[in-house]
Amino acid sequence: MTTTLVRKQQTSPLPERQETRRERRRRERLEEQAAMIPVKLYGLRRGTVTLLTVLAGLFAVFTLIPIAWIVINSTKTQANIFQSFGFWFARPFVFFHTFSMLFQNVDGDGTYIQWFGNTVLYAVLGGGGATVLSVLAGYGFARYRFRGSNALFYLVMAALMVPITAITLPLYLVYAKVHLINSIWGMILPSLVSPVGMYLMRTYVLVSVPRELIDAARLDGAGEVRIFLRVVLPLIVPGVMTVLLISIVAVWNNYFLPLIIFTQNHLFPLTVGMGLWSTHATTSGDNNLYPLIVMGGLVTIIPLIALFLVLQRYWRGGLLLGSMAD
Amino acid sequence: MSDTAVRAPRQRPPRQAAARAHLRHSGWARRRDRRGAGFVVPFLAAFVLFLIVPLGYAIYSSGYTTRIIGGTTFTGLSNYTQTLTSGLFWNGVIRVVIFGAIQITIMLAIAFFFASIFDLGVVKLGRTFRAIFFIPFGVPIVVAALMWGFLLEPQYGPMTRLANAAGFSNVNFFSPGLMLPTIILIVIWEWTGYNMVILYTALKSVPRDLIEAAILDGAPLWKIILKVKLPMVRPAVVMLVFLNVIGASQLFVEPLILNNYQSGVITNYYTPTYFIFRTAIDNGQYNLAAAMAVILGLVVVLISVAALIFRRRRGEFR
Repeated sequence: MTTTLVRKQQTSPLPERQETRRERRRRERLEEQAAMIPVKLYGLRRGTVTLLTVLAGLFAVFTLIPIAWIVINSTKTQANIFQSFGFWFARPFVFFHTFSMLFQNVDGDGTYIQWFGNTVLYAVLGGGGATVLSVLAGYGFARYRFRGSNALFYLVMAALMVPITAITLPLYLVYAKVHLINSIWGMILPSLVSPVGMYLMRTYVLVSVPRELIDAARLDGAGEVRIFLRVVLPLIVPGVMTVLLISIVAVWNNYFLPLIIFTQNHLFPLTVGMGLWSTHATTSGDNNLYPLIVMGGLVTIIPLIALFLVLQRYWRGGLLLGSMAD
Repeated sequence: MSDTAVRAPRQRPPRQAAARAHLRHSGWARRRDRRGAGFVVPFLAAFVLFLIVPLGYAIYSSGYTTRIIGGTTFTGLSNYTQTLTSGLFWNGVIRVVIFGAIQITIMLAIAFFFASIFDLGVVKLGRTFRAIFFIPFGVPIVVAALMWGFLLEPQYGPMTRLANAAGFSNVNFFSPGLMLPTIILIVIWEWTGYNMVILYTALKSVPRDLIEAAILDGAPLWKIILKVKLPMVRPAVVMLVFLNVIGASQLFVEPLILNNYQSGVITNYYTPTYFIFRTAIDNGQYNLAAAMAVILGLVVVLISVAALIFRRRRGEFR
């Protein structure tokens, strides 16, 4: 047993570490191609591949329309956002001017850059914390049987069906009593609970951590915590990254909770701040808020798209499925 | 021994199974299992504090009514009867059911179509398309609604202009008749890629032999997709339907934001969640709103359980 573990650690990871990023991408692409059945075997009519590619291209255009629009219009003045053609540039080019406005308190609504910082704080603490709790609990539910473990697991799953409003409104009422209104903890603490994250981790552990490995480590006298940190954790890194991504996106997107519990603008996350700008732009006429909304939207989505690109190779969407068959 | 580490647990040789059973029944194993509960405790503590307790408080407070004169009094089920007999509440529920039925069907059809052609590799640039389709998942719903609000705005929106130029005169995507289809379009934009990626991963796990056998039988492409692949990923589809139904029942941000672009179309009771928000925040009727939230939750549970029983009866779902 021991030798197996040691040998595995010594031989396999080393060559992979020396592989450069380009080599890895190339290898992954080749493996993917090798796993596929050659297209010509399907006996397709001529033009089918072209037709399907065109259809995919059309949907890609549909997907990219708002993104292209927001990039183009982040360079425009308020007048041009409405009057010039939406899918092309128009003079004057005010990208940097609008961008600098994100650092100022506009009309007393609050400063965009502060909302941005808040969002990052909530996402890192809330999303990161949710990931830690989900990973621990997912492993616990997957590989230990203790009294009531099944019942507890199904209770958590049933909680998925509870509407967010049924949780958020009472949170507000309780917060009012314990002084958590306008406290960042009022936002972060509820974000720590992620039933979906826990479910995904349980699935991933069931599929990728063999019981025998844990038993072997136990026979070697390793403690439970040590087994988790040294044996289990390295095996479930892709699953952890997926849950981290989902948890961060969930906090980044959260709108209902911060909308209700924050009344001070300097605590808002991006979503609530942008919503406030949008309301003020329509109610108070021309205060030049529209270019800010466009620029703010652009700056809001860039970090998440960047995060996706970084974490892309870890993404395991299939996590959602495994335990359906379990 | 060396390959047991990688072998699936189910194919365990009998001797090992006996050893494991012995382990499990010894006092050592029981202690270990109790320590295993330690992994679960932090999550469960947060779960109880921030999910179960608020939910309990919602149910508790839904039994009371607060009036300006007279304070808070226990009124039993009156908030529930008020909600259940409220035509406005059910108006919103019905709208969301229609919304979900159309949106989820179209979205899953598109997602499955692209997932299967990417999976079979009968498209050029499949990797690039997959990455592009996934982008909207990273766009916060508030921002997505704002962008589409600009694009479809009745006077200046570029899409409205294009529609007018294409010969449709006086198109208003936010008119009472088109508002719901517009929201469906926005939600499809937001979630298709996410569903597609999940279906794609499920399709990848279908054994290759099955497809090769179908090809040898001379099955055409559409038959391979619908008759061989689809039945194999049915559990994934069921899971996605379940998650999307929950999502649809909570439709809220899109109406809230679009209300800024066109006033008067999004009524206060447009969707149940929107109605709950307006009741609680604008009218300060927290107790009534709590009762509505509980009923909305029960409606979702009923739909889910009914779907589960239906599928179980057809023997498709364990």
